Amino acid sequence: MERMFERDKDELRSMGVEIEVKGLDPLFEDDQGYLIRTETFQLNGNEFASDELLYLTMAANLWHDSALSNDSKGALLKIQSLSGPIEFNVFNSPVVRDNENSQMLATAFEAIEKHKKLSFKYNGSQRSVEPLGMFMRSGFWYLVAQDEKVIKSFKLVRIEAKILTEDGAFLKPEGFDLTDYLKKYTEEEVFEAEILVRKEQAYSLRSKHLVKEYDSEWDLMFIPYSYEPEIIENLLWHGQNIIVRKPLSLRNSIVSRLEEFING
Amino acid sequence: MVDNAAIRALRTMDLIPYILENPGISISSLAAKFSVTEKQVENDLQLIFMCGLPGYTPYELIDIVFEDGIVSVIDPQVLDKPRRFNKSELIVIALGLQILIDINKSNPAQLAKLQALSKKISKLGSSNLITFDPLATNSVFLDLIVKAISEKKHLEIQYNSLIKDKKTRRAIDPQSLYFLNGNLYLSAFDLDVRSDRVFKVNLIEDCMVIDFRDHNNLSEPTKLFEVVLDVKKSHRNFIERNSSVISSSQEIGDRFEVHIQISNIEWLKRSILSNAPGITVTSPSLFASELVESANSVLALYQA
Repeated sequence: MERMFERDKDELRSMGVEIEVKGLDPLFEDDQGYLIRTETFQLNGNEFASDELLYLTMAANLWHDSALSNDSKGALLKIQSLSGPIEFNVFNSPVVRDNENSQMLATAFEAIEKHKKLSFKYNGSQRSVEPLGMFMRSGFWYLVAQDEKVIKSFKLVRIEAKILTEDGAFLKPEGFDLTDYLKKYTEEEVFEAEILVRKEQAYSLRSKHLVKEYDSEWDLMFIPYSYEPEIIENLLWHGQNIIVRKPLSLRNSIVSRLEEFING
Repeated sequence: MVDNAAIRALRTMDLIPYILENPGISISSLAAKFSVTEKQVENDLQLIFMCGLPGYTPYELIDIVFEDGIVSVIDPQVLDKPRRFNKSELIVIALGLQILIDINKSNPAQLAKLQALSKKISKLGSSNLITFDPLATNSVFLDLIVKAISEKKHLEIQYNSLIKDKKTRRAIDPQSLYFLNGNLYLSAFDLDVRSDRVFKVNLIEDCMVIDFRDHNNLSEPTKLFEVVLDVKKSHRNFIERNSSVISSSQEIGDRFEVHIQISNIEWLKRSILSNAPGITVTSPSLFASELVESANSVLALYQA
């Protein structure tokens, strides 16, 4: 029985519950008791105004259909324990849908928090990495981790089979900051494409970029870009309604892609 | 999850403030909310009956009533507030607030409140090691759409269709809003073509509430095309982004054989061409020839 009690206390502590051991009865000072202080354990009822509770509900509800649904549900229960029933409107606000693996996300979150190494198979090879952070881009989660002294990003949906936590902790590289890393990751040289757009076509491009009259059939447009494959994809979407004039390298890339596609 | 004593104790502590704020809730609703069986909720309530504070008289016991499947808390003792958010819950809330900030950029009043709340949540200990890139979606019509869904009102929208490459006006019955692949989508029933449609919210250029049109949401049957694609590994992003239309995908060396069932063939044509030569059509052969013809027409513009 005592062993069970010890195990249950350990379990509660591992779940973040602070349990104090102290004499609680002034008449029997030697008798040790257990105390969980409400201020270390409970939310303060006055911590959030009613409109804030509504925003918190919307924020947590955003994830109820995603791989983070368990945490979303847990947060929503606590918010509703402060706010009471929620306005119906909230449940019609947007939700995130993804194809991520919730177990993988939970393991990665915990490993980042506790500085535990992770091992998994990626691009056919086994990796043992030191996880430093995670970010979501275009609806997909990426793990930022140190792999053989190089900081890399791993797309979570491309991790093959399971992601496992290794024993022992690691030291986070000095000076690492996720925001700075992401800034460097996205800082790229900006180029400009000069393109012809057929009149009355390619409305999605017209709504974003400045258009000049060129001739009776075409308009002229300038589009800034950083990543060539991305602009090629966007331009080829419009098929015969776009011709790239400059830069020549971009024009040549499009031509060679089309030739390869046609010749198989 | 195995229901051990610690988990049960924590759930019990969660149940009391929840019932306190939602008096008269049914055991079946509690079971659904807490993802446990009704029997487990009943057992937890029985346990609560015997819990209280030192002193151990009836005055120090938690006072709870449940009858005919309905529960209310009369005296929660000190358990009148929920437990603090754990780390993962704080992450979910912080990320959610970041999304709300991104989509409310055109609403300064809401934006200021959301930013202040976001700061408050980060002080509670949300992790700055888990984040996401800002979303491009920012629609002035978002509030109107949410309200229309809640109040079951119909909308008329002007939509800049990427697939048809033209602006159209549509009368729709809006159903739900969701983020997928970083974009915000509106799922709706198109009242004119009598079919379900999905719209990218940032391509809605105008939006207004219109008179309700009586209809049933039964779509006209849509014809599905089965297409087999050969996708290079370098283009597997296409598979990851379009999993909802992919019926099977098999890795063969440095490529994937992908089977797609789709009604919107124009979308597929544009997608294949824009990924050329990373994606090619294996079957039907007629569709493959049609795409090669389209590619030839584009190429001819560069050779003129």
